[in-house]
Amino acid sequence: MKTMENRRLALLYTMLALPAFIWMVPTLWMVSLSLQPNALLARTTSNTFWGLIPYPLTLDNYVNLLAHGQVHVWFFNSLVVALGMTIGVLVLSTTAGYAFARLNFVGKKTLLVLVLLGLMIPEQAVFIPLYTLFSELGWHNSHHGLIIPRLAVPIGVFIMIQFFRGVTRDVEEAARIDGANTFQIFWHVMLPLARPAMMTVAILTFLYAWNDYLWPLVSAQRTEHFTITLGLASLQSNFAQSEGLGSVMASGVIASMPVVILFLIFQRYVVRAVAVGGSKG
Amino acid sequence: MFEQFKTDLRWAGVRQNLVAWVFLLPFVFVYVAFLIYPFGRGVWISLHDWNLLAVTFNPDAKTFIGLDNYLRLFWGTEMTWRAWARPVLQGLCVLAAVFFVWRYRIGELRWSTLWQCLMVLLLLMFLFGWAPGEGGRWFDRRFWPTVGNTVFFVAMVVPAITIISLLLATALNRETRGAAFLRTLFFLSQVLSVTVVTLIWQMMFSARQGLVANVVREFGGVPLSWLAEPGFAMAAIVIATVWWSIGIAMVLFLAGLQDIPQEMQEAAKLDRANSVQAFWYIILPNLKRTITLVVILQIILHFQVFGQAHLMTQGGPNDQTQVLVRYIYQTAFRDSDLGIASAMAVFLFVIMAVFSAVQFMVSREDEQ
Repeated sequence: MKTMENRRLALLYTMLALPAFIWMVPTLWMVSLSLQPNALLARTTSNTFWGLIPYPLTLDNYVNLLAHGQVHVWFFNSLVVALGMTIGVLVLSTTAGYAFARLNFVGKKTLLVLVLLGLMIPEQAVFIPLYTLFSELGWHNSHHGLIIPRLAVPIGVFIMIQFFRGVTRDVEEAARIDGANTFQIFWHVMLPLARPAMMTVAILTFLYAWNDYLWPLVSAQRTEHFTITLGLASLQSNFAQSEGLGSVMASGVIASMPVVILFLIFQRYVVRAVAVGGSKG
Repeated sequence: MFEQFKTDLRWAGVRQNLVAWVFLLPFVFVYVAFLIYPFGRGVWISLHDWNLLAVTFNPDAKTFIGLDNYLRLFWGTEMTWRAWARPVLQGLCVLAAVFFVWRYRIGELRWSTLWQCLMVLLLLMFLFGWAPGEGGRWFDRRFWPTVGNTVFFVAMVVPAITIISLLLATALNRETRGAAFLRTLFFLSQVLSVTVVTLIWQMMFSARQGLVANVVREFGGVPLSWLAEPGFAMAAIVIATVWWSIGIAMVLFLAGLQDIPQEMQEAAKLDRANSVQAFWYIILPNLKRTITLVVILQIILHFQVFGQAHLMTQGGPNDQTQVLVRYIYQTAFRDSDLGIASAMAVFLFVIMAVFSAVQFMVSREDEQ
């Protein structure tokens, strides 16, 4: 029985090996091109094994990118925006989520329905009025201008409500008997318990912030305010004038590095975040 | 004494409300100011003749024109109604109607649901019948083709992603290291940004330097410039999108597979069902709800496609890959016509809202 199971597994992996390889080829190719000299790439992109093996190997593209160009500025902007957005969403969604799940107030049901209806509004339906609003406020070309629109999206609140509803009331009652007020309970009891849910929200937000394209495209017009995602798009469209294919691919690799590392470390949370975020909008 | 108790109670209530609002206020403020208010403002802009540049320099340079923007998008001159103006679309409606009636006959659909579906289809059939007649033309020649391209894109991407990710999820739903590794591998492309994905695939499909072209050349073929070739450009975008986004669907299917009782699969094994039979008779019927949800979710997600078309093909060739969000973006920020662009955004919202409502109903149905 055991051997049959093993044989079936072996068969399955053999069958999946080719699709898996094909699936990886585009990414491998990008990494490989980023490690080849620009002069060679101008001549041919299929030097060794269709260009999938970086030979001759060079790190010049990365060195050049970090020495000149704006990639490091864009990278820094992305980091500030993504971290700012993550912290902001965490603060707003834990407080509001706790209030909706555990506190009583007048008009709770109505407000909750109003907030959940906000899940139906796609970014594309509000980016034009947001643009005019931010123009009036003078918020374009700034970090907060890129952070704030996403803070209003209720998906994080929704995840936190689901979590806080699942915590047993006993913990809270015990703390209340010990004389803790609502704020102390929230800070010392609920937040430590909520760490996994907060991780889910944080990762969902960070990934979204890092990869967001439409709003930065509209709001950040000066190159020194670009995020790395946006900067990469501008490199693509000015491809002919840029320093070469290898450099462009190297900036693609740099742009992907943080999210790929984040994903590999926190895979469990990413998968959870996708499952929760996916099934609820 | 009793009065005192009542005032205390009332005060406790007020205090409770105050405390709750301290927690709520930050989010509610941001939510109203940066989501609800802009949304309302968007609808308001859509009722105006509103030029971005003109209004920026002179806030009074807009005029209220009611629903004219919507008319300019949806309608044309000399509009006439014919029963079979669009045989393909109307034929699909008839097929859908037959499908729903069949589902009702085998008892999988309630009478009220069937009735609602048929009414919607009838309405669609009627709307599809309208077109500019003799000597007439659409006010906006690009709008409906753009919507059509978007629908076509969704119709290609969603089934492809659903089928591939369902097969992968079924194959990789086991607790071995190899399966975990392959899951990671197939999910990885999902975390890349749209600009990285388009960078890769733009190069992949390049006629001179692309990997596809290099391989074709190796086998003696003549490489195509996919992104500039009519018919191939849309295919290229679809391939890039499928590669990019099977991850979410796969994860949702894996979650759905975890919910299938283990005994059922054991029983199938004891009955010597092979894997194809097990897939067909055990997994598929049990995943019906998940499949429906994944399909609706994908429709909502991919209807908003923008980056792929904007960066890989710039909507070309001949507008073949022009999609709705890109048209909104261009109308607003290249043509500066915020009124029309906002009307299109409202149209997009209505479509998204319909699918969100369906999603909500489906997910509520399985909680019952």
